[in-house]
Amino acid sequence: MTSPASRRVAIVTGAASGIGASVAASLRSSGYRVAGIDLVESDTDLSCIGDVTDVGAVNDAVARATEELGPIDTVVSVAGYYEMVPFSEITEAQWTRMLRVHLGGLTNVVRATLPGMLERSQGTIVAVSSELAIGGGDTDAHYAAAKGAIIGFVRSLAVEVAPKGIRVNSVAPGPCDTPLLAPDSPWREREYLDTLPARRLASPDEVATAVQFLVDDGSFVVGEVISVNSGAVI
Amino acid sequence: MNGAVLDTDSTTLITGATQGIGAAIARRFAQAGAKLAINDRVASPAMDAMVKEVGGVGAPADVADRAQVNRMVSSLVETSGPIGTLICNAAYMTMAPFTDHPIDDWWKVVDTNLTGAFHLVQEVLPSMRALGTGRIVIVSSYWGVIGWPNATAYAASKAGLVALIKTLGRELAPEGIIVNGIAPGVTSTPQLEVDAGAAGVSVSEIEAVYAENIPAGRVAQPDEIAAGVAFLADRRMGAMVGTILQVNGGEVRGRV
Repeated sequence: MTSPASRRVAIVTGAASGIGASVAASLRSSGYRVAGIDLVESDTDLSCIGDVTDVGAVNDAVARATEELGPIDTVVSVAGYYEMVPFSEITEAQWTRMLRVHLGGLTNVVRATLPGMLERSQGTIVAVSSELAIGGGDTDAHYAAAKGAIIGFVRSLAVEVAPKGIRVNSVAPGPCDTPLLAPDSPWREREYLDTLPARRLASPDEVATAVQFLVDDGSFVVGEVISVNSGAVI
Repeated sequence: MNGAVLDTDSTTLITGATQGIGAAIARRFAQAGAKLAINDRVASPAMDAMVKEVGGVGAPADVADRAQVNRMVSSLVETSGPIGTLICNAAYMTMAPFTDHPIDDWWKVVDTNLTGAFHLVQEVLPSMRALGTGRIVIVSSYWGVIGWPNATAYAASKAGLVALIKTLGRELAPEGIIVNGIAPGVTSTPQLEVDAGAAGVSVSEIEAVYAENIPAGRVAQPDEIAAGVAFLADRRMGAMVGTILQVNGGEVRGRV
């Protein structure tokens, strides 16, 4: 066991449920101290309640985490939501909210944490994207655009900061058994699952295992997008 | 510690496991408690030394030779039980301008790297089917993703593996046999001597030349590739199917 003083510190957005909660639990079990940022209380070492689209709230949370837990070594951006809307019916507000939560949530937490990582020449950032960013999907235009933007951002930032010792990567889950997927979602129907090579949804723990690999073991993995999608897009 | 959870019951067969990336994979899997079969083209003092170091058994066979692969797998199953994890790592590389590459040697590259994987997967499938589960990790290369001058045979073989990985991923996942691949970037292994020789420079010089194009600023160490292989062989992971993990320091992004 490492002593508390040497334990690394991670920030996980969307840590209250689903993939974020699994990531937070996985990181904590491997010795990280985790600050969670979510709209509601999260089971973390430091639960910060706030909206990732709110720059001030994210900056405050990062400042608190740094003060109470220590310098931030790892950021995992998970906060997000899903809705299906035919493209011509997507309102300006729906479009903007989708981009602000997914791309804005990621960039807000990166802006707040990257300077410290650059100063210490170390750090890892993992952004959760989606299989829909790679393969697209019917009535998923605004979600896919936002998640696709994350991949473009990740690959570019990765090249920019890799020479400075910071690794940036992404995990792109397919349909996952989390609260984000409604109980009556078409993605839960047997007919759909039978089209997947793995014949089942991914579990949040599998996504967390991929995140954990990127953070702890992927020392030469830079700008990569790991697909945990049951074979939905190959 | 939260490393990969690997198969410790059935046998893990690693090809080309006496040096370079294969040796690093063997060490990594041994640390996680895997029961290993260490393959190389022929029995050798290096194979004996690796078996002594990591445990398990030696399993010599030229993967390009179907009969040898068949005998190796049959003998392993008989003596050590079923093979639940297969790591196709053995590779052969020579470089030459396309029209200068002797045709027999050109095909030897393809038949070792691509046909070798075909032989191995076909031969271990009965084992995995009997177990009702399996993990297969195939080592491709970033040259198979982006191509490389004077490496037509090698790049063709490794690109063929990319398509094989994707297709076998789709075909075998319904049976609980999970196939994924890894595409290492430039890695500090004896294979770099081939590149260095082709360029007429020393190994350290060629590493420095390659590092200039790698955002991470250096080439990979074999244990960094082994970490990726272990992740892909993790028994807890069943929802990663037909993927190619790129471990290249950021040199190539998003082409598979």
